[in-house]
Amino acid sequence: MLLDYDRLGFWRWILVAIGVVVMLFLLLPILFIAALSFGDSQWLVFPPPGWTLQWYEQLLTDPVWLNSLFTSAKVAVIVTVLSVVLGLLAALGLARSKFFGKSALQAFFLTPMVLPVVVLAVALYAFFLKLGLTGTLTGFVIGHLIIALPFSIITIGNSLQSFDPALEDAAMICGAGPLEVKWRVTLPAIRLGMFAAAIFSFLISWDEVVLSIFMASPTLQTLPVLIWSTLRQDLTPVIAAASTLLVAFTIVLMLLASLLKKGTRS
Amino acid sequence: MTTPFLQIRGLRKTYDQVVAIDHVSLDIKQGEFMTFLGPSGSGKSTTLYIVAGFQEPTEGQVLLNGKSLLDVAPNQRNIGMVFQRYTLFPHLTVGENVAFPLRVRRRPEAEIKAKVDKMLELVHLGGYRDRLPGQMSGGQQQRVAIARALAYDPPLLLMDEPLSALDKKLREEIQFELRRIHQETGVTILYVTHDQEEALRLSDRIAVFSQGKIEQVGTGEELYERPTSRFVAGFIGNSNFLPVKVEKLGSGRARAVFPNGQAVEGDASAFASGSDGTLMVRPEQMRIRPGTAVGQELAVTVRDMTYLGDSMHFAVQTPWNQELAVRMAVRDGQGLCIGSSAVLEWDTQHGHVFA
Ligand SMILES: Nc1ncnc2c1ncn2[C@@H]1O[C@H](COP(=O)(O)OP(=O)(O)O)[C@@H](O)[C@H]1O
Ligand SMILES: [Mg+2]
Repeated sequence: MLLDYDRLGFWRWILVAIGVVVMLFLLLPILFIAALSFGDSQWLVFPPPGWTLQWYEQLLTDPVWLNSLFTSAKVAVIVTVLSVVLGLLAALGLARSKFFGKSALQAFFLTPMVLPVVVLAVALYAFFLKLGLTGTLTGFVIGHLIIALPFSIITIGNSLQSFDPALEDAAMICGAGPLEVKWRVTLPAIRLGMFAAAIFSFLISWDEVVLSIFMASPTLQTLPVLIWSTLRQDLTPVIAAASTLLVAFTIVLMLLASLLKKGTRS
Repeated sequence: MTTPFLQIRGLRKTYDQVVAIDHVSLDIKQGEFMTFLGPSGSGKSTTLYIVAGFQEPTEGQVLLNGKSLLDVAPNQRNIGMVFQRYTLFPHLTVGENVAFPLRVRRRPEAEIKAKVDKMLELVHLGGYRDRLPGQMSGGQQQRVAIARALAYDPPLLLMDEPLSALDKKLREEIQFELRRIHQETGVTILYVTHDQEEALRLSDRIAVFSQGKIEQVGTGEELYERPTSRFVAGFIGNSNFLPVKVEKLGSGRARAVFPNGQAVEGDASAFASGSDGTLMVRPEQMRIRPGTAVGQELAVTVRDMTYLGDSMHFAVQTPWNQELAVRMAVRDGQGLCIGSSAVLEWDTQHGHVFA
């Protein structure tokens, strides 16, 4: 290749330097927050004068925080399940059939990805207000699902693309009925794509804040919403602890996803 | 007469304007190795897929033991099939792939295990039970596919160009195994290929497809020795086509006149359909000898000669400037060299005239 890393000579050090700067730029705020969450200064002094776990203790004993954590998890799990199931059905439909307007439908499915989230949020808010869905679990789930679904459709669609439909013919002639073919052959063959879709969907819901702010009520809010609203009232290291937990969980899921990606290639 | 094992009756399949197959009819005997041979796009796969149940014919009927197959769903037909592409289930081991049709049929575990062992033995892959398909070569994968297709003792095995993705040596090796498996199991096989050599090597009978129709059905020998159309003659084996006019001479005799006015005479039956058309002679049925032609003998010039070990290949030019291929034993070609004049001959029964 023209831009072979080994042949860049002097330029490669500039590339490395840029890489390091970008990495620090992305990582430092997270490390900073993590450090503060363990620091014993009430005023978020950096570097922390001493170390403590008290903010985590506060976080995990305060029913408001615990509730929001629980709400976040519940919404994320429901969104994940629905997103994978609906994403699978949509991807199967798009991959296996030919009909007029198929590419238009395909584009339509992906619009939530390109639409600014805040526009979507305002529109949903106005709509859900009429239906009485704001401040409900259903409202959260539908809102997050709209954002998560395109990722599911794309991820599962991609793994279907590399799945040869002749395998289904082979299973059928072996005696398997249509549902058994899907269950025994198609789903196992695309399972890594489905796992990836699940992880993406969970993360999208878990991190989502814009739509959630519109959906939340004082009694029902997700963790990111609570972090945001607490932040506007006072600056307590509990926020740092909550953020750190959020990030830690996200990192675990990302690692899982990249492990799965490796699995598909081997 | 008893009803034939498999009857294909007047099959026709169209896609919008495209006629994929038309009037395809064929009877197949139990235990027969029948090959569909033809160029790409001639309708072989379409016919096979209708038998399998993946396609529905626009018209026609398929009967197995006298009963219609078309009303039966593909998964209920109890037919085995091996595909052109590798279709082993990637997430299952070789053993589980072979077990798949038996698990679907809810057979007892002990029977499944015994059958899988037996099938893997049949295709000489006894030690590969726990491998994943991704860890096997293409040839091994197709052998597992054969084992899987035969695991439930189907009366009929369909194969759609199963060896076309393999290299020549491996292909010949598996062709040999296929013959053995066919003999050992006695299963009826419908085999699709575009490779005439493969068809000749494997089949009891061959159906030659061209443009959605069956041109001729017969044993390899019949197709080679007595082709009924120019297409079949050209598709199976090598052939020379000479333009002729056929004249009936009465009393069962006829003659074929070449463009330069010379003619060969023979029994009228040797001239088949006998009208204007083409005279076909196989290269190995032609002979040339050094010397100049006298009378009705055909004078040719040697343009090229190639030593092929077991035979000698000549390119000769006719008086009307057509190049013909002649193949002879090496010792019969002595005394000939490039540029020399020669006399071209063949026995009249080896000339076939097509309209
Ligand atoms: N799904 C399809 N849609 C339109 N035309 C098709 C389709 N499948 C096959 N054909 C046409 O039918 C003809 C026969 O195809 P096929 O049976 O696959 O030939 P072969 O197996 O001998 O190569 C070809 O002309 C092909 O273009
Ligand atoms: Mg084909």
